[in-house]
Amino acid sequence: MTAWNFRKLVCSIALWIVLWAIVAAACMLVGSTTGALSRQQWLYRLEMVLIPSLIGAALAAAGVAYQAILRNPLADPYLLGASSGAALATYIWSLLLGTAGAVAVQIGQQAFAFTGAAAAIAIVLGLAQRRGRLDPVTLILVGVILNAVCGAVYLLIFSLNLSRDMTRQTGGPFRILIGGIQTDLTTAEEITAAIAIAVGWIVLLSIAGEMNVGMLSDAEAQSLGVRIHRLRWIAMIAASLLTAAAVAISGPIGFIGLICPHAARYVTGPDPRRLLPAATAIGASLLVIAEALSRLFSQPTLLGNHLPVGVLTGLLGGPFFLVLLFHQKRQS
Amino acid sequence: MLTATNIHFGFGNRTVLNGVSLTLAEGEFVCLAGPNGSGKTTLLRILLNHYRAPGQITWSGRPLDQWTTRQLSQLVAYLPQSPTFEPTQTVADIIKLGRSPHWSAFGLESPADTHIVTQVAAQLALTDDLDRPLLELSGGQRQRVFLARCLAQQPRAMLLDEPGTHLDIKHQVELIKLLQHLATDQKLAILMASHDLNLAAALSTRLILLHNGQVAAAGPPADVLKPQILRQVYEVDLELIPRPNRPQLVFPRIGFTPEEPNVHGA
Repeated sequence: MTAWNFRKLVCSIALWIVLWAIVAAACMLVGSTTGALSRQQWLYRLEMVLIPSLIGAALAAAGVAYQAILRNPLADPYLLGASSGAALATYIWSLLLGTAGAVAVQIGQQAFAFTGAAAAIAIVLGLAQRRGRLDPVTLILVGVILNAVCGAVYLLIFSLNLSRDMTRQTGGPFRILIGGIQTDLTTAEEITAAIAIAVGWIVLLSIAGEMNVGMLSDAEAQSLGVRIHRLRWIAMIAASLLTAAAVAISGPIGFIGLICPHAARYVTGPDPRRLLPAATAIGASLLVIAEALSRLFSQPTLLGNHLPVGVLTGLLGGPFFLVLLFHQKRQS
Repeated sequence: MLTATNIHFGFGNRTVLNGVSLTLAEGEFVCLAGPNGSGKTTLLRILLNHYRAPGQITWSGRPLDQWTTRQLSQLVAYLPQSPTFEPTQTVADIIKLGRSPHWSAFGLESPADTHIVTQVAAQLALTDDLDRPLLELSGGQRQRVFLARCLAQQPRAMLLDEPGTHLDIKHQVELIKLLQHLATDQKLAILMASHDLNLAAALSTRLILLHNGQVAAAGPPADVLKPQILRQVYEVDLELIPRPNRPQLVFPRIGFTPEEPNVHGA
């Protein structure tokens, strides 16, 4: 038995970065173009590896926080409605001010997306709570209903604005209903999202030890020195920031925040101090692989069109969610 | 170590505690007994600042509201009635959590943390089980693990809520011996809520009997466990079998008696 010290933390992060880098490098070799690639095509593929990595990492880290702090193995930014709340807010912002432009506009968009995610989480927690208790399945049901409502509100606004060119501003209906990797993000969009994600992730890492204790009952956590309500607020805000930053540039890509923490748990165990770096790297890698697959499918001999990555994560995540649900029911 | 004076508390319109006062000294083993709903658990949680209640509470001479949550957790450990754990957590994972009040930023541990976890595991004969998942252990072993978590906090006082509830008689006896050892040898101040009057009589240096949110009686077990007091608190006749300095209790009217028919038949 050894102590979880600074050296171990750094080694753990470095190891997971190396594993992600190997996957990312392999995925750069995959695409719809065969033969020698031009420099521009390599740069495009590099972007198509880095952006999904950023989004996957953010959603997986948010999943770790939501699952720990809600003590709910089914919690995920998508299933809790945070993703669709953020996506709807991003869409409304884009209607009002557009997406391309000054950094201030991007920061405003991120802030608006964050407000959407936070509002969605507040609504879901408020509706799912009964006498101070949160039933895991009710929580998810309310989240799914909120997803449907956000989708309907989006389609309503979209229908009312059909005369406007939505293709750039929204990425089309896929952007809010399923989510995918955008190919036309501005540098300002990418940088603001990356900064928001970095801030959210570092905050989560700094409270990972407390989240480990926070998985116990409130009474136990408090008697082990954790101010549990303060911890919940910080974790919720950081996780919503991560979700919003990812969703603002990709739309609500589902199930990454559910699958990756569970996959990482098999390797690291449930302690968020070890789990967070692992789940983050697995999230980044999984979305890079999904994006590479969607590029493969977009070859002229197959689909011919770029498949939104959210379709693949949905196909993978749906059955995974059902397995988890039945597993949990059997345990209880 | 602990002084609580005139504690009042209620949930909504329901009064749970009405002017309760108690003290706890170093090396003392105090049992808190009383019927269901008499406010034992609530009182323990008020003493830990989980609930705010009117009245004066001081730990080591310092008012409760001047202790941060972290500082208090380094002084007092708490074992709830049903401690929680993750299904995949090992014994070592659980005991390590007891060191969390001493972790630095980012949840980083020091070599001293590992040393103390190893030491506590050895003290409670858990060394060989450190890598075993908690799910594999019996109820008695699990309770020892949770006690180890409390001890890993290196507290000067422990508040225990019904620690023997899920244990059979063998494991209850083991627990009693262990707690007595901790109080006498390590000078830990122990306040234990318990339904079991026999356990309370056997263990405690002092017994506090709660009834309707008030202290019905307090003092050495032999002075508190009197038929008239118990009848008033529990509303049932109890027969006391005296032992030197400590009374032992039996409940004569449970089950059927020769005067009553055996309703279950032959």
